[in-house]
Amino acid sequence: MSDTSAPVTRKRFVRWLLGTSVGGLVAAVLYPVTRYIIPPKVGESAASSVTLPFPPTEIAKNTGRIFKFGNKPGIILRTPNGDLRAFTAVCTHLGCTVQYRSDLSEIWCACHNGTYDLNGRNISGPPPKPLTPFDVRVRGTQIVVSRKA
Amino acid sequence: MRALALAAAGLVLAAAPAAAQSPPSDARCVQCHRQLADTNLSRPARLFPTDIHAKFGFGCLDCHGGETGKDSAAGFIAKPNRKDIPALCGRCHSDAQFMKQYDPSLRVDQVEEYKTSVHGKRLFEFGDTNVAVCISCHPAHEIRPPSDPESTVYALNVPATCGHCHADPKRMAPYHIPTDQLAQYKTSVHWEWMSKQGDLSAPACNDCHGNHGAAPPGVASVKNVCGQCHSTMMTLFTGSGHADYFVQRDLPGCETCHSNHAIHAPSDSFLVEMADSVCAMCHQPGDSARVAFLAIRHLIDSLRVARDSATAILDRAQQAGMEVSQAQFELADAKDALLKARSAIHSFSVDTVAAQLKSGFAITTHAEQRGAAAMHEHLFRREGLAVAVLLILGVIAGIWLLIREIEHRQKHSSRSS
Repeated sequence: MSDTSAPVTRKRFVRWLLGTSVGGLVAAVLYPVTRYIIPPKVGESAASSVTLPFPPTEIAKNTGRIFKFGNKPGIILRTPNGDLRAFTAVCTHLGCTVQYRSDLSEIWCACHNGTYDLNGRNISGPPPKPLTPFDVRVRGTQIVVSRKA
Repeated sequence: MRALALAAAGLVLAAAPAAAQSPPSDARCVQCHRQLADTNLSRPARLFPTDIHAKFGFGCLDCHGGETGKDSAAGFIAKPNRKDIPALCGRCHSDAQFMKQYDPSLRVDQVEEYKTSVHGKRLFEFGDTNVAVCISCHPAHEIRPPSDPESTVYALNVPATCGHCHADPKRMAPYHIPTDQLAQYKTSVHWEWMSKQGDLSAPACNDCHGNHGAAPPGVASVKNVCGQCHSTMMTLFTGSGHADYFVQRDLPGCETCHSNHAIHAPSDSFLVEMADSVCAMCHQPGDSARVAFLAIRHLIDSLRVARDSATAILDRAQQAGMEVSQAQFELADAKDALLKARSAIHSFSVDTVAAQLKSGFAITTHAEQRGAAAMHEHLFRREGLAVAVLLILGVIAGIWLLIREIEHRQKHSSRSS
């Protein structure tokens, strides 16, 4: 009779177990190494909310600040009335980062002099569309900005 | 369109209070006219229910006059004379008090504006009835508001509406003006934004020429017209040496370099030493300005290359699993600097452009350094990983050899015994 038809002894079983374990061990080492050397593509950030690294008290009336939302800039501002509002800070014309102009109480793009009102609506210059608004929630000393549902 | 609406509304004005009560004679007009074989007579009756005037309760007699039908003594007009149409529409549309009842925000100066247009001047001063009147743009009996996508004056439809006459060589022949404006406009960046990117605020014919007061902007006015949207460029251009020079030579601002209807997206290729580049069209070899625009191009190219290089190294670092998101975030400001510098070209000053680029170079240098540091760290980790893997594989190989050695010894000892 051949070996294959021989009954499985305890010794043969242990040898088979050890042999496959070595293969598994090698695979367990090489797989993460391979994934490290050839990592998957990194997609666009899907962040849906962010906690800002500064408290609400740091945003005075009629001022604004840029923050990082995923890998794009956002702008949070406090209106002259004291409301907190946040929008994408990417100008809808050619994608420059907008800023808050306290002297105008408007959001302004320095690249081509585009302006948006305090609701994010494009009101002059070349921007074709409004800025996308975010939801703003104040939790104690934290500001949480999130995409609108 | 509004003019026609005016016309309709104008006639209504005469009978304003009664208009909305739909006199029975209107129904009779429609009833008969719908049956007529002559489409010139039946079409108005079929179309009118879609007209904004019908929706406000105005009827045939409000514009065509007469109280009981074809009674010329009562003021019935079968087909208004084209020369009379502005006044006919203006009866209502120039009456602020009347128009308030229907649309308080609607302007009431269309007829006055029309009188300042080339169309209006030719109509009233030369009796030229071939020119556009209210109903040319706002077709009678099917007038829709500009917000209606089916309206002839909906932003997307305006070029075709103007082109209906202005792209017709036969119609334009007596005026000796070009007829390729529409074809040119449809190659422009403005049409691309409007038609492909859905930006209805992109300029169509009326944004530069006016609508009711349509006329070509004068040479001196071109920069002001473009500056309605492109204010940064207008301010820089106005302060530049080119502005006065252009006025002296009777050259229109903006248009001289960017064309008028075929305004293509500007590119850095305007600033090259080729005969057909925009700057080289005027500035010949040896001209000092040529040195300046080539210097500007060099500066812009330098930042673009630096930004591309920093972007590439940060992308590689990100792909390798390194945390560089903050550096990538900050690098976006280099794009702003590049765009501002491209706007600053309208100052025609190397120093002004260089000043805009300065912050961009600082950002790209910083980003490049952070990318290089991330890649260096990545390499260090890879080397460490290679050493660790070799050690682990060595241990595995050692265990395997040890197991074989044990087996070999066991076989050897069993044979000996």
